[in-house]
Amino acid sequence: MTTKRSESSAGWWVIAKQELIDLWFSSKGLSVLLGFTLLLSALSYLASADAGINLLDARESVGVVVQVSIALGTLAALVVSADAISGERERGTLEALLVTPVARRNIVIGKLVAATSMWVAALVVALPFVAVMADGPGVASEAVLVLVVGGGLVAAALTALGLAVSSVSMSNRTSLAASVAILLLLAAPSQLPSIASNGTLGAVFVKANPVSSGLKLANNVLVRQQPWPDNWGFLISPLLAAIVLTAIAIALSDRLELGGAR
Amino acid sequence: MKARPPALDCVELVVNYGTFTAVDHVSIQVEEGEIFGLLGPNGAGKTSVIRALTTIVPAAGGTAMIGGSDLSDSVGVRSCIGVLPESNGYPGAQTARSYLRFHGRLFGLSQAEADQRADRLLAMLGLGDNYKRIATFSRGMRQRLGLCRALINNPVVLFLDEPTLGLDPAGQDEIMTHLARAAAERQTSVVLCSHLLDEVERVCDRVAIMDHGKIIADGTVDDVIAVSGVAGRGRLRVPLDDIGGAVSALQDSRAAKWLNFDNSRPGDIEIELSPDGGARRIILSRLLDAGIEPRSFDLQGARLSDAFLALTGSEREMVSR
Repeated sequence: MTTKRSESSAGWWVIAKQELIDLWFSSKGLSVLLGFTLLLSALSYLASADAGINLLDARESVGVVVQVSIALGTLAALVVSADAISGERERGTLEALLVTPVARRNIVIGKLVAATSMWVAALVVALPFVAVMADGPGVASEAVLVLVVGGGLVAAALTALGLAVSSVSMSNRTSLAASVAILLLLAAPSQLPSIASNGTLGAVFVKANPVSSGLKLANNVLVRQQPWPDNWGFLISPLLAAIVLTAIAIALSDRLELGGAR
Repeated sequence: MKARPPALDCVELVVNYGTFTAVDHVSIQVEEGEIFGLLGPNGAGKTSVIRALTTIVPAAGGTAMIGGSDLSDSVGVRSCIGVLPESNGYPGAQTARSYLRFHGRLFGLSQAEADQRADRLLAMLGLGDNYKRIATFSRGMRQRLGLCRALINNPVVLFLDEPTLGLDPAGQDEIMTHLARAAAERQTSVVLCSHLLDEVERVCDRVAIMDHGKIIADGTVDDVIAVSGVAGRGRLRVPLDDIGGAVSALQDSRAAKWLNFDNSRPGDIEIELSPDGGARRIILSRLLDAGIEPRSFDLQGARLSDAFLALTGSEREMVSR
């Protein structure tokens, strides 16, 4: 008897589940997470030691750890999502997926869910570090909120970006290089001297950029002790970027191509 | 009684890549349980036909009904097809069973159904007692696993693009045997692209030869050979001293289009027979008239490979085992 069924509505979940197994039951996800943990441990130790000898204010140390957690956690999720489609294409496993009745957008959604798990894992690792460090200066709740909300939106945006780039890249190397280059470009303004972002144009530029906006939010709330309501604006571009880039990644799924042979 | 519609009915299919037309008004009908060979040199458009019919690339024109679903209903089509692509990759970290279970689930099977079908297929293709990761599989085992995956949804039509590529003769034979068995037992229609023309000749009920995006001949193997106009061959053995006389006797005969000496077997002459009837009788009577008594005269009919070469005008693609 032939299996004649319409598209399974749970197709995205079947994909996501398999991707999660592949990610977390292989060395890939765990090694990325181990690297993230080691870097965060070293940074937290250095930041705490600096705070101990007054090179860095305790709040500033918390700000640095939160910002680095956001940046590295986002990078980890980006690396996974940038491999999601182009990796299948390169390994020759994409065509077998495309000839199943699962809609292409559900393939992309499943992969997006799995890649987002990398950010969630990074968040789970970062939270204890941040909570312990922020307990001293009494900003634990603010730090956790910035990490979860601000970091979550930045990570969602960049994970979707990685997937979109992966959808159109014919090689994994191109996808990874392009995705990381975009992340670095977006993060670069946060390293500029504060005078550069103090003017009207500079402020608009920082707010329009989802990565620098998220990092600026952490700095304002945790280091400068500005109240949350004054800084809601810094969540707009990460939120918009997350929505728009996710929509783009899903829209590009309709144009998923094998590339190469005809 | 109303005749059953073909499992695959493709009419005037067109596939374009930009301004290049890869498939030019191709029509194919494949009946239930039939094995259909799609042949042609590299770049002829075979893979493009398969990719269009499996909804991987869009068709620029034409229509196709596959298992009762129109090509425009991509989900419906993909529900009733199985595909083994030419360059199929495998997730090395998974086991064969988990790989098949995953694909079964993508076709909407429950976990239990997917496991059951996976076990049955793995047993059928001789992988049943293998619990190692796919990374440890030989190429032949991977191809058999690919065939299992393509069969996991009990497809109406199975598309196989070079399923025996890179396999040794035993592996090629094994895949083709499994394929023929699947078609016979499950009444699955098969569209097979292969350069192994001897194998195609052995297992296919009908074939079509493509060149430059068009079908240039189709029908049974005998039909295609007849259309190609290629003749059979013969191997004549005469006493060594009579070789010269035999060649003189046959050279100006219409019955022998072409003569060749087999240097490895002195006294043997290979003859390409004229497609006209009676070639054998004419050759024998010419020899006897010249006073030459042949020691043996073996006739061989024209092969699909001969027809392929004649029709495509190319020797570069043929692989004949």
